[in-house]
Amino acid sequence: MHKIFVHPLPVRIWHWINAFGFITMIASGIQIRYIGLIDVISFKTAVDMHNFVGFVLIANFFVWFLFYLFSDKIRVYLPELRPMKHFIASFRQMKYYGYGIFKGQTNPHQVSVYHKFNALQSMTYQIVMLLLVPIQCVTGVLLWDVERFQSAITLTGGLRVVDTVHVLIFIFFAGFIFIHPYLASLGHTWSAHFKAMITGYEEVED
Amino acid sequence: MISFCTKLAVSAIVLRRAILVGAAFALLPSFLTLSLVLAEDSALSKDSQVCLACHGQSSMKKDMADGETLSLHIKGKAFAASVHNAIGCSVCHADIDLAKHPAPSKKKQTLREYSIARVEVCSQCHEDKAKLYEGSIHASLVRAGNPMAPLCSDCHSPHAVLSKAAASGPIDEVPCRNCHGAVFKAYAQSVHGLARAKESNGGAPICADCHRAHDVTAASSGNQIKEACLSCHSNALQLHKRWLPNAAHHFESVSCPACHAPLASRRVDLRLFDSNTKERVREKLGVPRFENRTKLADSKGQGLDTLALQSLLKEFNRDNDEGDTILRGRLEVDGGPEAHMLTEKGKAIKDCKACHSEGAAPFQKVSISIVGPDGRQLRHGAQQNVLQAPTSVDSVRGFYAIGGTRIKLLDILLMLALASGVAVPIGHLSLKWLFRKYLLKSGKHPLPQDKSKVGSVTSDS
Repeated sequence: MHKIFVHPLPVRIWHWINAFGFITMIASGIQIRYIGLIDVISFKTAVDMHNFVGFVLIANFFVWFLFYLFSDKIRVYLPELRPMKHFIASFRQMKYYGYGIFKGQTNPHQVSVYHKFNALQSMTYQIVMLLLVPIQCVTGVLLWDVERFQSAITLTGGLRVVDTVHVLIFIFFAGFIFIHPYLASLGHTWSAHFKAMITGYEEVED
Repeated sequence: MISFCTKLAVSAIVLRRAILVGAAFALLPSFLTLSLVLAEDSALSKDSQVCLACHGQSSMKKDMADGETLSLHIKGKAFAASVHNAIGCSVCHADIDLAKHPAPSKKKQTLREYSIARVEVCSQCHEDKAKLYEGSIHASLVRAGNPMAPLCSDCHSPHAVLSKAAASGPIDEVPCRNCHGAVFKAYAQSVHGLARAKESNGGAPICADCHRAHDVTAASSGNQIKEACLSCHSNALQLHKRWLPNAAHHFESVSCPACHAPLASRRVDLRLFDSNTKERVREKLGVPRFENRTKLADSKGQGLDTLALQSLLKEFNRDNDEGDTILRGRLEVDGGPEAHMLTEKGKAIKDCKACHSEGAAPFQKVSISIVGPDGRQLRHGAQQNVLQAPTSVDSVRGFYAIGGTRIKLLDILLMLALASGVAVPIGHLSLKWLFRKYLLKSGKHPLPQDKSKVGSVTSDS
């Protein structure tokens, strides 16, 4: 085993702010949506918290975006343009998580500096970071001040449409927030990827 | 002969005296009234004094066709103090021919017919006010034949009218009270009514300040009530912004009394709105589209359901070639006395839960509305679930209240996502554990990684 430096400091800062931010957003989002059923904090506090953390996450998104935009590390997010290759790699990864891992087989994906995501991660993070997070940010800002953005809301289909989209993505993230750390625990030890996201170094087989 | 002549002369004198005395007695009330009028106020013109010589008597009255009595008595002092004293009697009563007065009328009118006819007289001078009145809900009711609908003289006593006196005196004298007694009672107990009743009332509003005096319209048909509130409470938005998230949107979609009249019952009004003209859809005179379409779509009379709502919108959109007809929701109070019981701000509804929790009262009653040709709201009930059904996302796209109108299907999806989020790792971990146990027993499991092998470091940062 040897160590490779995969996660630069801005990515690690972005990641952990995102992690705690998403947990806060999901928790406060649940409190806002289910006030009366769940009363941990007041509706007003939950809304204020949701708004504040929301803007922190928007700023954080730009930390991620600008870092990758002006760094050669953007290669980790470049999509595989050969569909068959992507499909085979995805299928192999699914087979590993669904079967091989139980039999003690090694992960078919070998982490490298410019290839840190497996085929499934690559596809997921492209969708999450380039589609879902931006949509969530935009819909969140529209809902933050409905009157100010009334014309944009009308253009996008109306308040209920904007909110429904925001809630659907929230539902996705509410499930994702559990799956993501579990998948992160499937390294060669359960804590390997967590440590890597703190130190920046991933341990890979020789 | 001389004696006869003398007697005759004496008799004539006596007779003349008697006639004079009789005439004096006969005209005594008029003289007395005239004297009284002159004593009350010498500001009356000579013409008016002549009229009041008779009409100053309290017994002056006229029997009308419907058996009611029209009082013809004019109080001199009040008339002298009124703004109409300047024009005298003849301007309004130009139809009276003094040479033939009092002439028996050819056709007897009812008291109501007489009052309606007098509206024309008022409008000769007060053209601007008459125009406003013509567009009011009161005039609409008059046209519809409502015998209770007020005419000029019901609010303004024409022979005692003071400048802006109709609705600015002591609150008990406000003419609106005559018809809207229960509302007035509620108002009198409200923060405005109590303030108004004090001597130093600080300009607290009374009926006409919010509802307007002549162009009275249905409170929910436009923004005039909100504008009336903001005309005094001009910094209300800034004050609300200090604590209320999305304050501007609350101002737009929640009526002031929805929070500030806590005893009033609330409901959601889904208004047909033209996104092109940015105005509410208005019904054309003589074309009752709304009534016909809602009746057809809601044949059972249970309120419009989600599908009926969709088809109703489709039909209105078919009429609207240039724009898009949508539904814009607004939280309102049901009219009536409670809506006028505005409280001091400390007692206003400030708990977000009142609206933003499941089953919140304001979302249990829903109506669809359009502005009628006369400015009044035309409403039709809708089923409560139109605010929560997934199939309404498009038709009710202009209205949403967090928590209160949330879509149940999304709740189910969230539960599934959370359950999957927990179940997938647990299931996967359990399978891993079971397989590991089996593989260890069968000796097929590879040994755990030896961490001591971790050594070399590669970095390209």
